[in-house]
Amino acid sequence: MSMDLNSLKEHYLRCVRCGQCRAVCPVFAGIGNETAAPRGKVFLAHMLAAGELKADAEIAHNLSLCLLCRACTRECPSAVPVHKIITAARSLLAREVPNTLQKIIFKEIWSRSSLLNISARLLRGCQNLGLTVLGRSMGMLPPALDLVGKLPRRPARSFISEVTRPEGAPRIKVGYFLGCATNLMFPHVARSTVAVLSLLGCEVITPRELKCCGLPQEENGQMDVAESLARSNFAAFQRLGSKAIVTDCASCFAALKDSSAFKDIEIMDLFQLLNGLLPGHNLKKIDRAITYHDPCHLAKAQGITAAPRELLTRICPGFREMPGANSCCGGGGSFMLYHYNTSMGILDKKISAIKETGAKIVTTSCPSCTMQIRHGLAKQGLPIPVIHPVELLAQTLGIIF
Amino acid sequence: MDSQRLGNELKKILPPGRVLTSSLERKMYSYDSSFHARFRSFVPDAVTLPRSTAEVAEIMRFASNNNIPVVPRGAGSGETCGCLAVRGGIVLDLSGWDTIEEVDAANMQVIVRPGVVHYILNEHLAGFGLFFPPDPGSTRMCTIGGMVANNSSGLRAVKYGTTEQYVLGLEVVLPDGRVITTGGTNCRALKNVSGLNLTKLFVGSEGTLGVITRIRLRVWPRPRARGIVMAVFGSLDEAPAAVLDVYQSGILPSGIEILDSSAIQAVNMYKPEINLPAAEAILLFEVDGNPAGVEWEGQKIVEITGKRALSVEWATDSQRMADLWRGRGVVAVAAARLRPDGSRIFAGEDISVPLSRVTEALRRIKELGREFGVAVVNYGHIGDGNVHTAPVINLENSDEVARANGLVDAIHRLAIELHGSTTGEHGVGAVRNQYALAEHGEAVNVMKRLKETLDPGNIMNPGKLLPPGEE
Repeated sequence: MSMDLNSLKEHYLRCVRCGQCRAVCPVFAGIGNETAAPRGKVFLAHMLAAGELKADAEIAHNLSLCLLCRACTRECPSAVPVHKIITAARSLLAREVPNTLQKIIFKEIWSRSSLLNISARLLRGCQNLGLTVLGRSMGMLPPALDLVGKLPRRPARSFISEVTRPEGAPRIKVGYFLGCATNLMFPHVARSTVAVLSLLGCEVITPRELKCCGLPQEENGQMDVAESLARSNFAAFQRLGSKAIVTDCASCFAALKDSSAFKDIEIMDLFQLLNGLLPGHNLKKIDRAITYHDPCHLAKAQGITAAPRELLTRICPGFREMPGANSCCGGGGSFMLYHYNTSMGILDKKISAIKETGAKIVTTSCPSCTMQIRHGLAKQGLPIPVIHPVELLAQTLGIIF
Repeated sequence: MDSQRLGNELKKILPPGRVLTSSLERKMYSYDSSFHARFRSFVPDAVTLPRSTAEVAEIMRFASNNNIPVVPRGAGSGETCGCLAVRGGIVLDLSGWDTIEEVDAANMQVIVRPGVVHYILNEHLAGFGLFFPPDPGSTRMCTIGGMVANNSSGLRAVKYGTTEQYVLGLEVVLPDGRVITTGGTNCRALKNVSGLNLTKLFVGSEGTLGVITRIRLRVWPRPRARGIVMAVFGSLDEAPAAVLDVYQSGILPSGIEILDSSAIQAVNMYKPEINLPAAEAILLFEVDGNPAGVEWEGQKIVEITGKRALSVEWATDSQRMADLWRGRGVVAVAAARLRPDGSRIFAGEDISVPLSRVTEALRRIKELGREFGVAVVNYGHIGDGNVHTAPVINLENSDEVARANGLVDAIHRLAIELHGSTTGEHGVGAVRNQYALAEHGEAVNVMKRLKETLDPGNIMNPGKLLPPGEE
């Protein structure tokens, strides 16, 4: 997890404001002036920490204009961890300029599985009654609500046992971190992951008491909540004796990898694990053109780009690389809620890149990216599904739910 | 005129969203990459984002009538406060005005607006088999407008020279709002000696004479091959001698870079896996051109430098070239790792000395570092005598900051003493103008007269280039 702004002093002091971050920041590309440059945010964080600027709503707004995609962190010639500095600055702002709605959503609701489930059910009820459509048409609800799509009737959790036995001889015991977005919005992804792992000889441990990974809280300035969630999730895996964990959510993966709470548990890359387990299994290959979007939390945060492609080319000979596959789609978790228009500007480039490939299926491994790209394709009337590579793999292995 | 009123007036000229007036927005235009701006905040009174010559002309007429300073700005990647409003006023952020208007491949030229980013221009030109040769280290962010205003160059200036050699003509908005075209109003010729060369006057004028709004650049055929020689030396003296040997053999490499022992140490501390050989100096020669010529020149450089070097390696494989170049690539960031609380600063970073005195300059800078108690890392474009020095200090230690300022002054004076210049490619701005008289003598008075003629109200980027308080 990130840390207090003052503890990052040596990092923000190292920023020489050269501006190389301007070259890679998708938000800067959309807004096009210095107020959106990542180095400017480091500058503001520095001024805040030094007491030369007083926290206020305008600074909070400026610092919210970041996808935390880490493109700048990767590009920085001075090796400044820009995303950490922005996250820490948001935390300071959340304390000094509290945003009640943000606090209710990310601290009070999202961190409690029961309340999050109830909220999802309520939303689904509203969707069924047509209230969300009505609210949207009357302009009472934000356009970002369209991205959520129709929520499924049952969350993934209701299909997955705490312990899923392997088919055949056990090869490995692995913990499965079920993220909240996957659980509530994409149960098919979670079911595919568990079923595939099980089929390939894994005993899959999915603790009952798992909570959110903490990333949404961290991104929204609730660092203490994020740390508490990480500790709680670590304890859940420890209770069941997990020594290694995988997750199918790129964002959860980044949160787990960055967390100091998970010191003694290995966070494994799902794709690498699957690539290692697949040899010897018959695959009924997909005969449609597919492409892959790199989630920032996987590619930029962890440098994982080859393993997903290895898996996809193995199961689909028609894999096509899209231009700028590792450019952010503009989703950025809650970014699209706060800055819908900017987010859509970034998304348009991604949709153009997808169209250029002529692919009939888009794959990605992040629920936020999935929602975002699905929304962009739907807006342009393109009947291209966005699915997780593990869903395709389940299909090629003959797994039917 | 107070900031709010100024903003309101400018909003009558520009469309909504293209005038920034809030205190926070203006603060974000208070810095560039210079050491100086780390300790002084130059907040403009308003920031404008013009997107047409007519808009710039209108702003200039307004500023001229009201005697308000105007500061053109590109990507703000400079190291001299050149784009900062040191006397307040209006910043023109031209970086978003980034249209490549025309690639006139038949006439080997390209026409761009000032905000086009260098590497984007070259990516675009690659499609035509062309390129714009000057290649600053800031290629990923710096704008062509900024390059022209500062007469920038970079790693390959040895062979290809500086920006000025490629500027065929400019559209410039003068301080009173008049618009002129230099290099001929409708000219597409590559050679033109008619009239006084106003193009050269504006190139490198750092925004003190007018606003560059359109640029006609000469472009060259893209080389088809390149290769790199790395030569490792046990003595610092051998490195410049080897450079001279290469020149005297009739070879003009596209780039010759040096890392001295301080830079080698910094790189190895930062990225041990790069594992540069412990040596007094490493030279990297880049050659480019057609494949056969590149191979011949590369082998010849190996033969020549091998007589002086401890070891030499020649590479044309792209991966190996990248590996060899990595040490040079990371030295700027590696410098800060010389000490745990260190930050690299951009000051005294760009002196240029005669080739025959490069070794002396490197030695003296090291000595000055010891004298002032400031760690320094030296690297640079040895092929043209441009030495980049990276002082590394704790920015929070006011004593160190004062010592660093002393060191920087001494480095600049050293450059003049060695018959060089305080700046080879980064410019003067507000950080080297105090050396103008020492460098140029009576010529400074001619510069002042030119400035007075074109900008009688001294509204164009005041406080830069010319001696402080004397514009």
